[in-house]
Amino acid sequence: MSAQVIVLSGYGLNCEEETLFAFRHVGLGGRIVHINDVIENPKMLESYQILCVPGGFSYGDDTGSGNAFAQKMRLALWDDLKKFVERDTLTLGICNGCQILTNLGLVPAFDQNYGVRDIAVTYNKSARYQCRWIDLKVAENNSPWLSGIESMHIPVAHGEGRFMMEDQTLEKLRSNKQIAAQYIIAEPSAHPKLDLGSHEADPDLRQDARIYVLAEGQFPYNPNGSIGDIAAITDETGKVLVMMPHPERGMFTWQRDDYMEIKDAAQRAGQDVPEESDGLAIFKNAALYFEGALKKSA
Amino acid sequence: MTYRIEILAHKDDGRGLEIKKIMAGLGKTVNVRVIDVYTSENETAANDVFKNALGNPVTQKINQTPDDFDWALEIGFLPGVTDNIGHTASELLSLTKMHPDESQDLKIPDQVRDAKDEKVYSSKLYLISGNVKKGDIEALAATLSNKLIQRSSIKDSATYKKDGGMEKIVPKVKLDNKNVSADKIDLNISDKELEEIGKNGIENLDGSRRGPLGLSLLYMKAIQEYFKKEGRPATDIEIETLAQTWSEHCKHTIFASPIDEVKDGLYKHYIKRATKEIREKRQQQASSLRRQESSAKSNQIPDQVRDDIYWRDEDRIGDICVSVFSDNAGGIIFDENYLITDKVETHNSPSALDPFGGSITGIVGVNRDCIGFGQGAKPVINRYGFCLADPRTKPQYFRDAKCTNPILSPATIMHGVVAGVESGGNCSGIPTPQGFVVFDDRFVGKPLVFVGTIGLIPREINGRAGHVKKASAGDKIVMVGGRVGQDGIHGATFSSVALDEGSPATAVQIGDPITQKKMSDAIIKEIRDLDWYSAITDNGAGGLSSSVGEMAEQSGGFHVELEKVPLKYPGMSPWEIWISESQERMTLAVPEENTEKLIKHLAKRGVEATVIGTYTDSGRAVISWDGETILDLEMEFLHDGNPETPLKTTFVRGGEEEPKHPLPQSLSLKGEGSASAQGEGQHVILKLLARPNICSKEFISTQYDHNVQGSAVLGPLQGRGRVYAETSITRPVLSSPKGVVLSQGLFPRYSDIDAGAMAAASLDMAVRNAVAAGVDFNQLALLDNFCWCSSDEPERLGQLKRAVEVIYEMAVKYETPFISGKDSMFNDFKGYDKDGKAVKISVPPTLLVSSIGVIPHVQHAISLAPKAEGDLVYLLGETKDELGASEYYDMNGVLGNNVPETDTHQNLRLYKLYARASRDRLIASAYALGYGGLAAALAKKAIAAQMGMEIDLSSLCHPDQGDSRMEGSKKDSSTTDLKSSARNDKKGLSAEKVLFSESTGRILVTVAPQNKKAFEKNFKGFEQCHYIGSVSYSENLMIRDVASLKVKDLEAAYKNTFREL
Repeated sequence: MSAQVIVLSGYGLNCEEETLFAFRHVGLGGRIVHINDVIENPKMLESYQILCVPGGFSYGDDTGSGNAFAQKMRLALWDDLKKFVERDTLTLGICNGCQILTNLGLVPAFDQNYGVRDIAVTYNKSARYQCRWIDLKVAENNSPWLSGIESMHIPVAHGEGRFMMEDQTLEKLRSNKQIAAQYIIAEPSAHPKLDLGSHEADPDLRQDARIYVLAEGQFPYNPNGSIGDIAAITDETGKVLVMMPHPERGMFTWQRDDYMEIKDAAQRAGQDVPEESDGLAIFKNAALYFEGALKKSA
Repeated sequence: MTYRIEILAHKDDGRGLEIKKIMAGLGKTVNVRVIDVYTSENETAANDVFKNALGNPVTQKINQTPDDFDWALEIGFLPGVTDNIGHTASELLSLTKMHPDESQDLKIPDQVRDAKDEKVYSSKLYLISGNVKKGDIEALAATLSNKLIQRSSIKDSATYKKDGGMEKIVPKVKLDNKNVSADKIDLNISDKELEEIGKNGIENLDGSRRGPLGLSLLYMKAIQEYFKKEGRPATDIEIETLAQTWSEHCKHTIFASPIDEVKDGLYKHYIKRATKEIREKRQQQASSLRRQESSAKSNQIPDQVRDDIYWRDEDRIGDICVSVFSDNAGGIIFDENYLITDKVETHNSPSALDPFGGSITGIVGVNRDCIGFGQGAKPVINRYGFCLADPRTKPQYFRDAKCTNPILSPATIMHGVVAGVESGGNCSGIPTPQGFVVFDDRFVGKPLVFVGTIGLIPREINGRAGHVKKASAGDKIVMVGGRVGQDGIHGATFSSVALDEGSPATAVQIGDPITQKKMSDAIIKEIRDLDWYSAITDNGAGGLSSSVGEMAEQSGGFHVELEKVPLKYPGMSPWEIWISESQERMTLAVPEENTEKLIKHLAKRGVEATVIGTYTDSGRAVISWDGETILDLEMEFLHDGNPETPLKTTFVRGGEEEPKHPLPQSLSLKGEGSASAQGEGQHVILKLLARPNICSKEFISTQYDHNVQGSAVLGPLQGRGRVYAETSITRPVLSSPKGVVLSQGLFPRYSDIDAGAMAAASLDMAVRNAVAAGVDFNQLALLDNFCWCSSDEPERLGQLKRAVEVIYEMAVKYETPFISGKDSMFNDFKGYDKDGKAVKISVPPTLLVSSIGVIPHVQHAISLAPKAEGDLVYLLGETKDELGASEYYDMNGVLGNNVPETDTHQNLRLYKLYARASRDRLIASAYALGYGGLAAALAKKAIAAQMGMEIDLSSLCHPDQGDSRMEGSKKDSSTTDLKSSARNDKKGLSAEKVLFSESTGRILVTVAPQNKKAFEKNFKGFEQCHYIGSVSYSENLMIRDVASLKVKDLEAAYKNTFREL
């Protein structure tokens, strides 16, 4: 049996269906469970290997994005949650899920001290909601979620995605390799010869020659003013990953903002458009992790 | 005791920076600290666990408000106004109460608690440092708050310190002297008194009136007659109910009434009939196609039939309509498993007064239309559309003659309506990729706010057709969702009476999307498929009176026990409860055996549900209040008792003479090709591109989550240059390659010349945009939204009739059925100018046509951005001398006469040929020409691709002589009397007319060189396929003999107008 995923829903979470679709697409089993049903029967967490808090607008972002939902989980579910992350499990928070898990202190959880709030994810510097595609560089890390991924072109959609923390927290994140991904500038126009829109574009060449330039806080590359261009972080084990961008909205080529250009170029070259896009790798890694684990135990 | 918790945000908080920006706009330099304030009378508010739950220790400080500031400004809600943040804080307070270590309690699903105990109220405190005066802070308060729904208080730092902070304000609703039973109203009164009630409402004991009922004397007399027959006085709730049920808003009396020779009314005679005729024709086609197929062996199928059945599946042949005009939305076939539904609403009047509240209640309201379709459709896409005055202008108009009550500025309205849809759509997890903004100064007093929702519903649920529902006698009436308050009672009757603390709740509503989201998820994602309810509908206009009333038409009656309706606060009168428009509620018909489990399940999802009565087959509408019958009407009288009002119309075409002299801002073609002439051309094109109707509205698209649900294929910003597009494509079923194509068309200004031409252009644009993007022409449907003005005047009704006649003809020709529609007939602002002179500003009669269609595989989708250098550029369709009411003429202050006329026959030919080309993937990019004509289209294409183009217009200027020169056309245009000249004058058009004409039926495409042959073969015999140039390797848009523009200059002009928003 494949590993089982529990994707939470309720109180304004709203990306649970497409997120479960992503997990299922890579061969994992799982289901969507309302938070109140988990609270009613917390032991159910024991039968899952992967926990995902998807994106959404829990409690309408009132009292700070992710805060109220996190408080609910803390007050009603803390012990079981802690047990879950301390087992050999994977946990993923996307967007609102990232805000919730950060408010819960599942990250950074220095010294495996889960529950301490060291980091805030707060209002974008522009004070505006931003829905746009961004480029990420995956930082040096030890997260099974990110293994083999170098960069990603996926979208963000949030009003509060700005990571803030004390300098020493940032320093510690860096030295612990807990920064998972950072916003970069990877505009095709910066590399005219590697123009995606041109029919001579060679995707392989483009990939190889890509130069990762950190956004350095520059809008819109860094869409929220996040410190250190941070888009995603992990706990020390790397098994808890929280990220503001949405991999499930960039898992297929047809979801991409440049899909029209890609499919046109493919048509001219007489090629098929690849089905998968960058975001899917994260979900695949989860499946691989447990495939490996199952093999090991077998 | 009152507790106040102040949560101080960090110095660099984005919200504070935003205020800094506003103040900088007023010429002031300040620093701002933002404090979230929570006020409660519950002692748990003193608990540290609660306080810590409200603040984030990394970036916030709790009750450590600094005192180094100059001014303090606090903004909170007035009593009774929905306070979402307060609501969430109340939930946290309840959770805290159950904590710690009493997690047993938490296993009880969070029932909706008795609100009065655990209420928390939110407000915001801004501490401002800088050299500013009280007037500046007052100006800031006016920008940040709306006095209809919010209170603000200002203190300088000395007062603040002296008082020990701000006042602790608990905005509780206090209803006093309310008569909490139904009043009897004697209708044996004079016509004059009847008229007074119909106009200004029922009289209260103190002599004041309850607000307009909108009942004409004719209607009041019918009511008088009815109660004479019943032999008893009426009750207030009966009159209020009849007013709601018979209102223009609910009955659409103008569209239903006999009008001139059209005895069955505009709606039945034209709109509904168009759909009926198309459906019948398509059904016949389908059966004959099937016959042909079964009789012919496959190799004998004639070519044309083979063409028709390409991409063949059962969904696209025959009638695509499944549920039209009978439900909360219209539904068409998506694929073998699903229907898609669509509905577009307007929320104009509320948005004029409270733009944010008006637009958020609009969008979450139309979401409920989707949830209330059939057995319940899942909202999958939102639409928006705003018709506004130019936000850069500051017109001075007032609601009162003394000029003390100004209307909101266009900028305030724009920010508010944009933010309302943002909040409603984003919080609900529904992508909002599709929309538009159109500007005209006449939208100043009455903006038009369009909101729409597309739904997805299985064609079959539990063995029943998904779109079928029926309330049966014996079913319980269950109200689900939010509680009832005084929201939106007599929605339009906001007065300018000062609202202060302790006032009754105001009539303005604010949406609470999270309450609705909880309800929507529980119903659509869980309960619907359990088969627990037999019918569902939403509570919108008219509240329970219309939702229960409508559903009871199926069963044949109802009995509501009104005292069972849960209220936000005590003290409401029965009639208020019955017609309240409190948001976030659905009404269900539930077989008795299912009510308990349904209510229990909803409670587990944090959603309140209550049995409030029973559907009956008694033929009567009955309401009781603590056992006493307070309403008892014949169902038939309630729904069909309103007398017919025949209407008369007149029609006069508008328009002026076509300009004969060179326009102030025009392409001066003296000394053709010279640097100075090209300079002129450049200047004019850049100026046109910067106009609000043409320029980018990217700031809206990036604020609206357009890819939630993972379904976005072709978004609102297209190409590397991110051009704001008019068409979107979405894959609502992730596992299916089929896409939903959405677009729309509207040209309000064309009504100034001819409302018929306006309607035609709108419908054509809606269809053409979808066609250009690759929609399957067989699976395309339309929605009509009429926003008219002064619809009691024969001239306006004449325009209406003409518009309706035209769209009937067109829809039937295109075979694009109407599946849903709505009208809003009185969009007039009556007020005063700055001198206190009475003014009436009517919106231009506006028809919004929205299109919804299916593309069989998104791989065939076509975006507007050219894809490669060297591609060929073609203009499909005929360009005529049609600049009347165009952007170009308007820029020159001219109306003209030659408004674009739509040649449905020619256009249909083109669209069918185009559909074949798009099926065969011969087209690399396409843009349907609209505002600004060819000039705007070329520029947008260049910007989107970030590539230059080389264009030669000579074949368009002289259709007969591809190589002719510009001089000729110039001479012609200056010597010909344009008014009398044929619009497709063989003598040719000037470059100016070619570039700026807004002739309909045109698509600008690019084609890869390797597809040239196939493309031209596809359009063989179609004389309006014009090769006009190529996508170039340069960075300029070169229009030969007219202009040479750098793409980056075009982009700057296109994007700068609204860049700072």
